[in-house]
Amino acid sequence: MNAIETEGLTRYYGDLCAVDNLNLSVDNEIFALLGPNGSGKTTTVLMLTTLLAPTKGRASVCGYDVRREGEKVRRALSYVPQDMAVDIKLTGRENVRFFADLYGVPHAADRVDEALAVMELTDRADDLIRTYSGGMRRRLELAQALVHEPSVLFLDEPTIGLDVAARKRIWEHIRSLRRKGMTVFVTTHYMDEADQFCDRVGIISQGRIAALGTPAELKTRLMKDVITARVEGPFTPPELEGTAFVGRNGDEVSFTAANGRLALPLLADALKNNGCVVRSMALREPTLDDVFLQAVGRQEEPQGFAFDKFRIMLRRRK
Amino acid sequence: MNGIVAYMKRDFLKWGRGRVAVVSSLVMPAAWLVFVGLALPVQFTGNYLDFIVPGILVMTMLTAGLSGGALLMFDKILGFLNKFLALPAPRSSILIGKILFITGRGLVQATIILVIALLIGASLLDPVQYGITYLVLFLFGVLISGFATTIALYLEDHDSYAAFNTMISMPLFFTSSALMPYSVMPPWLRTIAHLNPLSYAIDAVREVTAGGFPAGAILLLLVLDAAFLAICLRVFRKVTI
Repeated sequence: MNAIETEGLTRYYGDLCAVDNLNLSVDNEIFALLGPNGSGKTTTVLMLTTLLAPTKGRASVCGYDVRREGEKVRRALSYVPQDMAVDIKLTGRENVRFFADLYGVPHAADRVDEALAVMELTDRADDLIRTYSGGMRRRLELAQALVHEPSVLFLDEPTIGLDVAARKRIWEHIRSLRRKGMTVFVTTHYMDEADQFCDRVGIISQGRIAALGTPAELKTRLMKDVITARVEGPFTPPELEGTAFVGRNGDEVSFTAANGRLALPLLADALKNNGCVVRSMALREPTLDDVFLQAVGRQEEPQGFAFDKFRIMLRRRK
Repeated sequence: MNGIVAYMKRDFLKWGRGRVAVVSSLVMPAAWLVFVGLALPVQFTGNYLDFIVPGILVMTMLTAGLSGGALLMFDKILGFLNKFLALPAPRSSILIGKILFITGRGLVQATIILVIALLIGASLLDPVQYGITYLVLFLFGVLISGFATTIALYLEDHDSYAAFNTMISMPLFFTSSALMPYSVMPPWLRTIAHLNPLSYAIDAVREVTAGGFPAGAILLLLVLDAAFLAICLRVFRKVTI
């Protein structure tokens, strides 16, 4: 039995399909759902945490159906949403104790101390949250989530708005939870973090999984060197043997090449012949960003933004 | 049950740490007691303070309930509600805990008002009378906080709710039997006052101070409480799933 299992999971907001026939199984790993804004990441998490009913399909957490066995599902998981919500007028200890009471944790006081210690907040446990930094508040939320020792942890954009050091620390904590056997499901749009810290990633675009695998697998699937070029003027992708056009992000275009060193001068000529000015070129190993760009396409908000549909979606989500 | 207690404990802790809010919420009812209760020259009774105390107690519950209506809405806006909904504790305990907190807070404020009233010369009642008074205030508090929480959840926006709050609190108070007996009201006001739920609570407390037991009013408040809690739970379920 996998910790998280979905089968044809689908959610519509009115006519807008936010999550489209999602099939996933996640177990005993750090799984990251990557995707641009509005691709269905949060909607997926809301369905898995029983906060939103699926339109179609089924999903289970620890073997319990999210639709029919909501309470058992909630007993098995912890969910830390994107917007930080901790009571600033309470102390760290009081905030964690509050959650321990809500979970009905036995020996609550000891468990609270333990959770605070794991998140390295013991020294500041009796200070008001008002005096905590952003990184500490996020760690406190993790302490709240860990106080009942869940089997599955859902983190929606856990490092958003934090500085580099705080991010690194959060990820180290997540890694140590994984070592203790917890299944961690994160959503993020920081590719480098997913690449570095997650066991497996799923790239989601317009509600569908566009690529799924370990970061290394996904990168080797591209299999080639990556050439990026900054160009000006009219751009048409040149047809050149041994290279493939990946995508464009602003004035930067990227290609993959079987042999980057050989392809570099050829590509420069081909671009020039196509009538654009090449400002700079670079050759590098593929990163998850390239995988993402290839899977998702242009990394911009879609044109012809359907404002009405978006409004309907927001209203239903509140 | 544990859930309800935990949610209430959180709100009481937070409330106790906001000293400005605790004191400022008492200023208005205290001012009514002193400036109106002691100063207004009225003909229909020898002790206007004793007459007005039930009205001010109920007003205290009203203000506490209406201002508390925004609490659950803020929990929702600030993202707390989503965290709470993902917890195994029954979801209804979020709502029940909130209503009990708002009512409990109102009762604490009403107690302080009652002490001030006694200090400036209101008559002392016996313990049973105080017990029944608190029962009436509690039932009324549940009614108002359930109503206010429902409206706020429905409006989903703090500005709209503040406007609503301002719009209804004063008219509700002035069209009740808080300030004068029905006998001296103009006929049109008398009709409105008889329909105003504030009057049920005020009249019930007056009946207690006169030595009676307001069985009818308590029954009515119980029925209204049950009805409003049912509506409130429905709206809550609708906005949370």
